[in-house]
Amino acid sequence: MGIEPGRLHFSWISSAEATKFVDVVTQVTDAVRALGPHENFVKHMPKVA
Amino acid sequence: MKVIKIDKKDWADSLGKLSGPYRLFGPVRDKDFHNFKELGNDEQPDFNFQNTRVSAKSMVLPQSETLFTYSLDEKEPDHHQMREPEKNYSPRAVLGIRPCDAKAFLLVKRNFDTPEYKDPYWVRAYEASTFVGLACDDPCSTCFCTSAGCGPFHEEGLDLLLVDAGDHFLAKVLTQKGKNLVQAAGWGVETNADVELMKRTAESRIASAISTEQLKGKAATDLYHAPFWEEAAFACINCGTCTYSCPTCWCFDIQDENHGNAGVRMRNWDSCMYPLFTLHGSGHNPRETKIHRVRQRFMHKLKYYLDKYDAGIQCVGCGRCIRLCPVNIDIRNICELMNSHDPGACTCQVA
Amino acid sequence: MVGYIDKIKEISERLLKEGTVEMVIGFQKGTLPMMNTPCFAKTPEDVGNFVWDSHCGINLANYLTDRKEKIGVIAKGCDSRSIVTHITENKIKREQIFVIGAPCKGMMDRHKIASLFETEIRSVAENDGKLIVTAGDGEKTLEKADLLQKNCAVCAHRNPVIHDELAADPVEDQKDVDRYADVREIETMPPAEKWDYFDDLFSACIRCYACRNACPLCYCPTCFVDESQPQWVGKSTDPIDTKTFHFLRAYHCAGRCTDCGSCERACPMGINMRMLTKKLEKDCIDAFGWEPGLDLNQRPPLDTYKMDDPEDFIK
Ligand code: SF4
Ligand code: SF4
Ligand code: SF4
Ligand code: SF4
Repeated sequence: MGIEPGRLHFSWISSAEATKFVDVVTQVTDAVRALGPHENFVKHMPKVA
Repeated sequence: MKVIKIDKKDWADSLGKLSGPYRLFGPVRDKDFHNFKELGNDEQPDFNFQNTRVSAKSMVLPQSETLFTYSLDEKEPDHHQMREPEKNYSPRAVLGIRPCDAKAFLLVKRNFDTPEYKDPYWVRAYEASTFVGLACDDPCSTCFCTSAGCGPFHEEGLDLLLVDAGDHFLAKVLTQKGKNLVQAAGWGVETNADVELMKRTAESRIASAISTEQLKGKAATDLYHAPFWEEAAFACINCGTCTYSCPTCWCFDIQDENHGNAGVRMRNWDSCMYPLFTLHGSGHNPRETKIHRVRQRFMHKLKYYLDKYDAGIQCVGCGRCIRLCPVNIDIRNICELMNSHDPGACTCQVA
Repeated sequence: MVGYIDKIKEISERLLKEGTVEMVIGFQKGTLPMMNTPCFAKTPEDVGNFVWDSHCGINLANYLTDRKEKIGVIAKGCDSRSIVTHITENKIKREQIFVIGAPCKGMMDRHKIASLFETEIRSVAENDGKLIVTAGDGEKTLEKADLLQKNCAVCAHRNPVIHDELAADPVEDQKDVDRYADVREIETMPPAEKWDYFDDLFSACIRCYACRNACPLCYCPTCFVDESQPQWVGKSTDPIDTKTFHFLRAYHCAGRCTDCGSCERACPMGINMRMLTKKLEKDCIDAFGWEPGLDLNQRPPLDTYKMDDPEDFIK
């Protein structure tokens, strides 16, 4: 539907996997930052007459 | 009233002249159908249509309309206050509206513009508008306007009526607003051409009709309890298409939307066909089943409105609800059931 | 398919006479060409109104929702699959319905047929794989096969999957149909182009929800778009809200939609929202090998867990 693939990430992280959590969060933020802000599927004030 | 001749080759030029003093609206083609839109610079309305898919009511009652805006940002001067948004009520001209849609505004006006109550948004938009009608020479088989108080050359509600006469339009000036528009467009060639014959030809092409003469005399409660509603309503999926496309349906719902520190209060079209329309805060719904809802739609159009205003039914016979209903619920049939209903002949009752 | 009607009437009459069911749901002739209207028969005499031809595209499973009586229902392939879905979702009990199966050769695309004529269509008759269409500007004989509803043209399950009686012998299923050519085309678009595609697809939507209401799956007592506390999605014609409605509705139908085409057929603006449900249908096949409504005894993929469920998207 027009959302770049790199914006959506899934991961299973157990509460014991602190290092995995850090890695995943870093990856996710890097990937999303690289894509820049998403402008399309964002609602501001409703566009009405 | 005088009739003016407008050469089609001058048409684009005159629109150019009109686009100064007026915001122009007209039918434009969108994929497979036509609908009313504001015309862009040099954009021409496309008159090659039988009728627009949905009615022209959005010209005055947009599907979604802002009523108020507010801000909670204390840096703004009027924070924490509902304020009316600035709207453009400068003169507008609706070009190529069909006579049924124009007449429909008069039916709606009885509700939105009364001595006691005025809907300020509707009234201002309506008053800002000049309606330039386009007479129908090729009505749909589902048009039954001539038996619904309207007609393919009907003039009520219009300021100017255009009749397509091949390489030119004949324009019948009907009101002062119409006169002003004619002047602004620079149309001046008067003719004594008569549209009467064309009118009669068009009227004779209206192939379907309803009978409404018995409705007035019937008791609303008899019609309400008539046994035919269950069958009549069975196929309905309560989609509301009939009411959204109808030029005479006026119901709306008010919603607030909040975004961060600010928001809007808006109104959106609503429909008696939706269960939510009558759902009470308590959870009780007085029109719980689709039988109630279908009955309400037709009773309002064909009985309550008639009784309340004594000025005909709340329908102009545009036939849109017939053409667009996904399950073919046909107001002509329902009207016939109601008009010919004989409570004495019934033995059963519908809850 | 024109020949089915005698058998349908015979079965319906018998069921009502014997008291096997309290009502039979079928179609009667509408007031416009190519428009049959869902209707019911409660007495053997009512059955006389029933018709069956290539304009019975509406999914009758939608008319079973929340009814309490014992019902006979005429079901095409897709309707029967929706009924199976209703049964597996505990919406209705198998015993409550008597399915009169109508092996289907495809329903006509009335919008497409109308678009072939300059003027309005006055009448449509069918005969042996042909449609004889009369419009203001003359008569044409058309091949039915060229004018199927889009979903019927790629239908892979024409025969009712459950039935208590059949109105005709099973028909041969279409072989080698490529159900997803259009979906694949969109899948290959870059994100920005996809966005524009959907922007355009839904630009004319008036949010009447005819698509949702025609859908047998959308039986929720209160749909998320109607809820206002919380207001999951705005109610205006704001294009983001409109798309949110369509995207989310499609997700709610994932693994359930049988591509009966009712939504597209019902839309007054001619919008092909099936592009969304079809994509999810394709994903369900690719990921879970699942086609909805084929088997009363199988749980749908989104309410079961299997060891071999694909999870390569999880990092
Ligand atoms: S368009 Fe037809 S199905 Fe939809 S609400 Fe109106 S009558 Fe019912
Ligand atoms: S009720 Fe139907 S025919 Fe009458 S004005 Fe409304 S849409 Fe047109
Ligand atoms: S039926 Fe069509 S117009 Fe109505 S909500 Fe669905 S897509 Fe929009
Ligand atoms: S869109 Fe979703 S919430 Fe709405 S009726 Fe359909 S399944 Fe229910």
